[in-house]
Amino acid sequence: MDEPSPSPPDAPPPTPAHLEFKAGLLLLVLVLLVAGAGLYLSYARGAFDSTQRLVLVAEDSEGVAVGMDMTFAGFPIGRVRRIELGPDGNARIIIDVPVKDAHWLRTSSVFAMQRGVVGNTNIRAYSGVLSDPPLPDGAERTVLRGDAAAEIPQLMAQARQLLSNLNAISAEGSAINESLTNLKTFSAKLNAPGGAIGALLGGDAQAAKLVATLDRTNALLARLDGLAAKADTQVFGSDGVMRDARATIQQLNGVLGDARTSLQKVDAVLDEAKAVGANARVATTDLGTLRAEVETSLRNIDQLIGEVNRKWPFARDTELKLP
Amino acid sequence: MHWFSESYMTDGAGAGPAAAPAYHPRMPKRTSTLRQLQDGLGEIGRSGLRSSIGWSTSWWHVVKVGALILVLALSPSTYDRANRGALARHLYLGIMPILPWFALLSAVISVVLIRIVVVTALSYGLSQYALEMVIRVLVLELIPLTAALFVALQITVPSGAALIRMHARGEFATLLRAGGDPLRHELMPRVVAGVFAVLMLAAVSCLIATLLAYAAVYGFTLGAFAGFTRAMGQIFDPGVTLILALKTLFFGLAVALIPVAAFLRAGGPRAASGSPELDSLVRLFAAILVIEVVSLVGNYS
Repeated sequence: MDEPSPSPPDAPPPTPAHLEFKAGLLLLVLVLLVAGAGLYLSYARGAFDSTQRLVLVAEDSEGVAVGMDMTFAGFPIGRVRRIELGPDGNARIIIDVPVKDAHWLRTSSVFAMQRGVVGNTNIRAYSGVLSDPPLPDGAERTVLRGDAAAEIPQLMAQARQLLSNLNAISAEGSAINESLTNLKTFSAKLNAPGGAIGALLGGDAQAAKLVATLDRTNALLARLDGLAAKADTQVFGSDGVMRDARATIQQLNGVLGDARTSLQKVDAVLDEAKAVGANARVATTDLGTLRAEVETSLRNIDQLIGEVNRKWPFARDTELKLP
Repeated sequence: MHWFSESYMTDGAGAGPAAAPAYHPRMPKRTSTLRQLQDGLGEIGRSGLRSSIGWSTSWWHVVKVGALILVLALSPSTYDRANRGALARHLYLGIMPILPWFALLSAVISVVLIRIVVVTALSYGLSQYALEMVIRVLVLELIPLTAALFVALQITVPSGAALIRMHARGEFATLLRAGGDPLRHELMPRVVAGVFAVLMLAAVSCLIATLLAYAAVYGFTLGAFAGFTRAMGQIFDPGVTLILALKTLFFGLAVALIPVAAFLRAGGPRAASGSPELDSLVRLFAAILVIEVVSLVGNYS
């Protein structure tokens, strides 16, 4: 075998100018790239956001992963930070919500976890009344499950019931079928010569009667019109009742004036009668006094006679004797 | 460092007849790479059990060399003026010729893969997962692997071969006699440059692939940046980010250390068992495979 012969030295490549500076620049670029990536990923994971905590309690946390989003109207507003099993056996999903997005969550907000047939699980928040008080930090809410796969059997049962109802509705002789038949007859009558009146009254004869009634009513109205014109002439015309009535009223006014005068005279007569009455009353008072005086005189005379009788010898025995 | 100095004092520079076999006869010849591969494969097939024992013990050798070079790289006293120059030279001259080409190549491959993934996802109605899939496939898996293989083939394996040639010419013995330290002045800069090249290529290509993915999924608009950022935040959770960083770092270390360690082994008594370049390549692929599998297990198990 040949002895090893040292190979000729490799020709060193030419050294570029400012080599150390350029190498330092490369190092700086690498450091900047790595540091920039680190900062960007920290920002992307929300390391610089101030957050508030929300605890969602679910019966089953299957499909929920740390880092997944909670969405509101399709926009991510929170991120799952941790999942733990609570002392009551329920899963506790701890979500960090950035403070700048927390105003979408209200005390009346509803949280739902939906698992599609294909794809991952979504946690969604719904806020119906945005004027409610905001959700406090550390709030605990129960999450509603909306599992599409679990709902399929229930959905099928409901769909079957719906279809049987539809069958019953559309069957021959069903109520809705008869209603439709009646509706068809009704619309046919509407299109018939009798039109809506015939449909409403139930037959063409009745419709004809109604039309005749209407015609006669029209004629009656025309006659009433003439009558009213004649009455107008009779009442308000030049020789109408109104003129006579006006003259009668004037005469009545005169009669009333005479009556008023007569009454005034009667009034005066009554005044005089009143005065006569007053005099009679006075005279009656004097008569009373006279009567009292007469009674007194009579009593005195009676007394005097009694006295005479006692003293007179011819006095009669007035004593009563019992047998 | 003592064993390293002894190894170089006793080999090819004519230290005595006992050292002569260690300087194996085939290596210094500048045969073609294809010829070396054929020879090496034949040698491995013939060596049998002896080879497998050597294989396992030599990994320990790689770890020892790696620890020694890392300690040197992290010691401030290493970076004296002469060493800084050597390091800057290896850093700059190693990566600059390949950086634009690799960026272009990875951009083209990324565009093709992104387009395939996005169109497939759209056709299945799963477009909301397209971005995540693209980022996971490209940034997390393919680009660091490609960068490591590219650096290995373009920088570190040729660099190990250059070390072997320098060794064959007796330059290290000369350096040692002159009071220099080959480990500090020749090996450490190459290792650091190799690690740096892997990190740099991976970082630049990941950035390009991310931008291309954004443009492919959302178009040339800034309106979707918030949603994109949110998706990136979901993909890169701390575990995944840590695994990506460690994987890229270990790719760099494997790519940079294994060819140098193979060179050091080439000076030992087992040097005649095969081609050091082929040995280092096989070892390199095995190490990269193990790192990739471990990262996959960490990410997706």
